[in-house]
Amino acid sequence: MSSVTMKVNGETRTATVAPETTLLKLLREQFNLTGAKLGCDVGDCGACTVMVDGQAVNACLMLADQASGRDVLTIEGLATRDRLHPLQQAFEVHAALQCGFCGPGVIMSAKALLDENPDPSVQEINDALAGNLCRCTGYTKMVAAIQDVARSRNAGSAKLPAPRNVR
Amino acid sequence: MTVDTKLETPIDAQSLNQAVLEPATLRLPAVIPPVPFPIETLVPDTRQQTPAVGQRATRPDGRLHGLGQTKYIDDIAFPGMLHAKIKRAGVASARIVRVDTSAAEAMPGVMAVLTGREIPVNSFGPSFQDQPVLADERVFHAGDGVAAVAAVTEQIALDAIDKIKVEYEPLPAVFDPVEAMQERAPRVHGPNSNIYATKVIKRGDPDRGFAASAHVFERQFRTQMVEHVPLEPHATIADWDANGRVTLWSTLGRITLGRTDIARTLKMPVNRIRVVGTIVGGNFGGKNEITQEPVLALLSKKTGRPVKGVFSRREEFISTTTRHPFIMDYKTGVDKEGRIIARKVRLVLDGGAYCSWSETTLGKACILAPGPYNIDNVHVEAFVVYTNKTMTGAMRGFGAPQVCFAYESHMDDIAAALGIDPLEIRLRNAFGEGSISPTGQVLHSVVVRDSLLKAAERFGWREGRP
Repeated sequence: MSSVTMKVNGETRTATVAPETTLLKLLREQFNLTGAKLGCDVGDCGACTVMVDGQAVNACLMLADQASGRDVLTIEGLATRDRLHPLQQAFEVHAALQCGFCGPGVIMSAKALLDENPDPSVQEINDALAGNLCRCTGYTKMVAAIQDVARSRNAGSAKLPAPRNVR
Repeated sequence: MTVDTKLETPIDAQSLNQAVLEPATLRLPAVIPPVPFPIETLVPDTRQQTPAVGQRATRPDGRLHGLGQTKYIDDIAFPGMLHAKIKRAGVASARIVRVDTSAAEAMPGVMAVLTGREIPVNSFGPSFQDQPVLADERVFHAGDGVAAVAAVTEQIALDAIDKIKVEYEPLPAVFDPVEAMQERAPRVHGPNSNIYATKVIKRGDPDRGFAASAHVFERQFRTQMVEHVPLEPHATIADWDANGRVTLWSTLGRITLGRTDIARTLKMPVNRIRVVGTIVGGNFGGKNEITQEPVLALLSKKTGRPVKGVFSRREEFISTTTRHPFIMDYKTGVDKEGRIIARKVRLVLDGGAYCSWSETTLGKACILAPGPYNIDNVHVEAFVVYTNKTMTGAMRGFGAPQVCFAYESHMDDIAAALGIDPLEIRLRNAFGEGSISPTGQVLHSVVVRDSLLKAAERFGWREGRP
């Protein structure tokens, strides 16, 4: 057992973990942050995606010990008490998630992309989501939602366009 | 149309949308604006548009999904909860000689071990009860569970199933469905034949139709086994309480049907079993029947503690249902213009080790096998057979995608051989208003031709492929 200390969603957290404990297990079982999901446990599906020092990682492939001393951001750290993150809002407006199991991972991958590249092309969005499998949606609305967020940010307004009527 | 809501403060859909979506007014967790009472149910007049049509709608669960607040089974935990793991056979066909669980039981942290012999009624299934909850005497496919462990952590449970020793006496196995149909093939569920369901659809006289045809085409098509791969694996928490009632929080898609199966295996009345269906992280037909629920219930009964079981991705592939692989033989007679005169179809469905939803799949595949075409002389025969492989069951379409692949590929073959445009040959044969299906159903509101023409126009069929 070893002690790990890391910043999780802005708060310094400490835990005692067995050496084989993954970052995902630590977040879900000890910190009760169940937003990141266990889909495959081998880094194929991306349902466990979180950000570590600003980069999207598969939390199931990273040991808790490797994340010690680093800055971890999970899906729970995006919204404030009063406000959804623009990505969460856009995903809701576009109905981009169906069963929703992949959603937290997809949104974290999208955030990592937009932090690095504020104006991504469709191809760049597809590349950024390549590690996040979704079996329900076909990704189209996710890409549209991410484009919406990029556009509204670049237009200098924090407000997303109001939902249009479905034609 | 006028809709008089008769509410004191009528709800304006636009402002409701605004209130929900406007970030500045959002307080989490969100509360839906109160609806004034009494609520009057609006019943629009016949053939009038309902107020919902044309309105933008968001998914009621969309926000929670995006926030990561949706509670799937694996996000739920109870005080004192144990973790269960199931040992998989790893051999396709064998007799179980001995199961030694003593080393696992002696491990610190292991609270209970369960084998197939301890299950009150060790068989279940949505149509045939041919599937053991845990294999007790015979292993029918490599993904069969042979024993289960409940331990204080998942890791201890995993280590414990490695320590369970199972002695097998290997038996002959059959993996190819056509081979399995033969008399001398090893019987999966002996002494009965491996063919466990058949269906025949007949209309007209196909042999005379072939004789009258200008051309006759024959081809075999095959499809492969497909796993649903829902992002969320099968997961259940079972809690057997001191009153002898069991509550199961489960990813089951059909909870009432599942409850009947669970009641049968536990040999107790359904009213002592409560199944709580939670939000399911993808089903696609793969979560329509019980898997580990009775095992977890019995482990909970043994330990007096809630028990959680979550399948690994490997277990999803080897031990849950999959889509039927089909072997499809098509024979079609057409006239000079490509109009179908007769069609014979033979389908062989690989059912895997257990029936599951195979009967349903067989029926639907048969009905749809000739395709959406006017054919006067049809003969469809279909068989579903046992093999020593992962069982096949419900998956989106119940056999429809497989036969669609075959009859549409076959149509393309015929069009190419006769030098007819692939769209044109479909328009010549497609169902119309009042067409009669091979099973005798008179069809109405048929828009096959309209759909084909509209689609062709939209993606520029006439202009040709780049």
